[in-house]
Amino acid sequence: MPTSKWLVVARNEYRIRTSRIRKIRSYFPYLVIGLLTVYVAFIAPRFVSIFIDDFLALLLSQAAIAMVQIILFLIFIYFMIIPITDTLREAQTEQLEIFLAAPIKPSDVLLGEFLGQMPFYAIFVTVITGGLTAMLSPLGLDIIQLVIIIAIFVVTFLSAFWIGTVIAALLRTKFGKTTRGRDIGKALALIIALPLVALVYGLQFGGIFEALSDPMASETVKTVLGLLPSSWGAEVFVGFASNPGNIGAVGFETLTRFGGLVTFFVVVLWLGAKAANRAYSLEPAIFTASRAKPDGAFYKTVKYLGGGESLGSLLVAIFKDYGRRLENLSKIAYIVGLIVMINIFITGPRLSEKYELGVIIPLIMIQFMFPVLAAFVAGDVTLRGKENLFIFKKTPSGVGMFVKARLIQGWLIVVPIAAAVTALSTSLSSQTTFISLLTNIAYGVLIAAANVTFVLGLFLLMPAFSEKSGKFISNMLIVIFVSIGLFLTSLFGLIRIIPDYYSIDQITRMLYVLLFQTALGWIVGLIFLFLGAKNLRRIE
Amino acid sequence: MKVVIHTDKLSKYYGKGGEIKAVDELDLEVYEGETFGLLGPNGAGKTTTVHLLNCIIKPTGGTATVNGYDILKEETNVKRATGLLAESPGLHEKLSAHEFLEFIGALYDVPRDILSERLDNLLKLFGLYDRRDYLLEGYSRGMKQKILVAAALIHDPPILLLDEPTSMLDPRAALIVKDLIKKLADSARKTIFICSHILPLVEELCDRIGIINQGRLIALGTVDEIIALTGTKTLEKAFIALTGGVEEKELLAWREHRGADF
Repeated sequence: MPTSKWLVVARNEYRIRTSRIRKIRSYFPYLVIGLLTVYVAFIAPRFVSIFIDDFLALLLSQAAIAMVQIILFLIFIYFMIIPITDTLREAQTEQLEIFLAAPIKPSDVLLGEFLGQMPFYAIFVTVITGGLTAMLSPLGLDIIQLVIIIAIFVVTFLSAFWIGTVIAALLRTKFGKTTRGRDIGKALALIIALPLVALVYGLQFGGIFEALSDPMASETVKTVLGLLPSSWGAEVFVGFASNPGNIGAVGFETLTRFGGLVTFFVVVLWLGAKAANRAYSLEPAIFTASRAKPDGAFYKTVKYLGGGESLGSLLVAIFKDYGRRLENLSKIAYIVGLIVMINIFITGPRLSEKYELGVIIPLIMIQFMFPVLAAFVAGDVTLRGKENLFIFKKTPSGVGMFVKARLIQGWLIVVPIAAAVTALSTSLSSQTTFISLLTNIAYGVLIAAANVTFVLGLFLLMPAFSEKSGKFISNMLIVIFVSIGLFLTSLFGLIRIIPDYYSIDQITRMLYVLLFQTALGWIVGLIFLFLGAKNLRRIE
Repeated sequence: MKVVIHTDKLSKYYGKGGEIKAVDELDLEVYEGETFGLLGPNGAGKTTTVHLLNCIIKPTGGTATVNGYDILKEETNVKRATGLLAESPGLHEKLSAHEFLEFIGALYDVPRDILSERLDNLLKLFGLYDRRDYLLEGYSRGMKQKILVAAALIHDPPILLLDEPTSMLDPRAALIVKDLIKKLADSARKTIFICSHILPLVEELCDRIGIINQGRLIALGTVDEIIALTGTKTLEKAFIALTGGVEEKELLAWREHRGADF
């Protein structure tokens, strides 16, 4: 009898996912199970003992249900987003042809892909439920209560993974057929993470825990989130915690909530299987090719800024190539979004009013985001592959002109953004004066411009030809660590250089640090740019 | 002779009101054991025809039967009866050649005992047996194409749909594929449907050819019949005469520029 097709696909998916560890594939499951057993039996109980008192106090508080609902909702969304972002980053439909040409039902492909990935998601689920069990054990829950809680978690997460897998398959078919679609997919992959980051920031810094101690706020959250299946397990969870060993006390809630959750899972499973035909299709969807419009005022200005002649034309071409990729714009939007969130949740008026340095704190915080922004813009220099670089290498004085154009392009994008976000962050402080606003903007602009210079040099010196390459990741880490390193070097360096350092007022001291850091940043940036340009001439 | 592929006004239109006619009322018959070539310029509708015949996409109008099975009603049987070598398929590059062929064989329900021996034999035939455990991501384009040919053959189907079978191969590998196609047609009585714009390949292998342009079949017959039809001397000239091309005087027209002094 032939093997079920979904099993064939699942085995294949598992093989693809474990191709990097092919040599240990045969005993990988045993290794994982062994490690997870050690985690559940020994590590998790010791780890949770650090904050067990706070956790139990929370569980028995009036805000418990709303809190658990929020946590479950967050985890649900996170687990749903994983397969979606994974697919959007690399939405390709070429492999679908193999499935569609073979005698296999689309629902089998969908189920197979889901099950093939499941062992890896199961690791996450075990880590979370293992920690949870450890936290609940001091309460004296009986075995049935524990099993039901674990089952609630497993069903909730399975539903999230399944929904994520179905949406991912639909999006892959929608976006994966064209270059434009793949670009939209990559752009979305980054942007959809922002609301989740906002929620996490809100939980961490936004005072949500404190707000929930207000019965009305807690009740509102309970009512709203209670509508979502992700939260249905929360009442059972808290009910068991309040009545250890007495399952009958919350028997009705257990039956309705857990039963509802299982029904929800069965329904989404059925709906997903129904949607599979749409998710696996090679019918072309878009027939309008993107057309370029004649250059408007923006590109004419860019050309003028580039001197109008060849350099200007090259600069415009680079701008168009960069700006017409939604992925690049979404990266910029992502960083700006993070900076806004830092201002809302971390720095903002509250922090700036508390400290003498209040007017500079926002700049100190957000300046560490500038290198990442610079890396997203200037780090793109080699990502289109060697062939793209060879276009410039084979033209007379092409390399020099290319480096100049990329540098100007980086500055023209990063510097205005840096100026705007610095102005916004600084203006949120009540201590801000016009002079301090201008000073901060000047620092922000100079630091960001130095970051672009350094990043461009670094990525030319150590070219990364793909975002997935180790080089790209190591370059990103270098950019971040150099930026932090320069700040710390300036901070501690000045303590040694200036004899009466601590007699100077705090704000002036910090301005000196930033000035020193900016100067160092420019020196390092120019050195790297020189070395990078030299390396570009050598690349073969 | 038994007809194994029969299309009846098979059409595939796209866009609003179906203004893009990828395949337009295609009437065609391919006989058992025949090697048939569908020739056409880029975007003529060759790949869409193969996709329709393999039930990968559904027709807008008309229908077809493949090995006696209706492409609209008996998808699974059509797929079992055909082996497809797609023009640009995405290989699972994180699999080894052996794993990939094993996967494809399982998808087509090839029994385990047969599969194991057959995939070893196919890998030996294409000179890839020693590299069977290497991941496909490390294979050259030609080697990948060989694996895809092997994948199309793994369930030993009566009909092979080959979309540009030698386009990525070096001369040596192309020769193997050409010899294999001849052997499959002559000795194994397979019906082979080749889509290509490589004229010498089609001329050498095909018993009959069809020329498709802008979705419509504009010529059908043996190579000699098509040459005679257009009053030319070679298939290349006949193809240009039927599908249009650039005239010789236009070739260097781009250099002319009023007032240019360089």
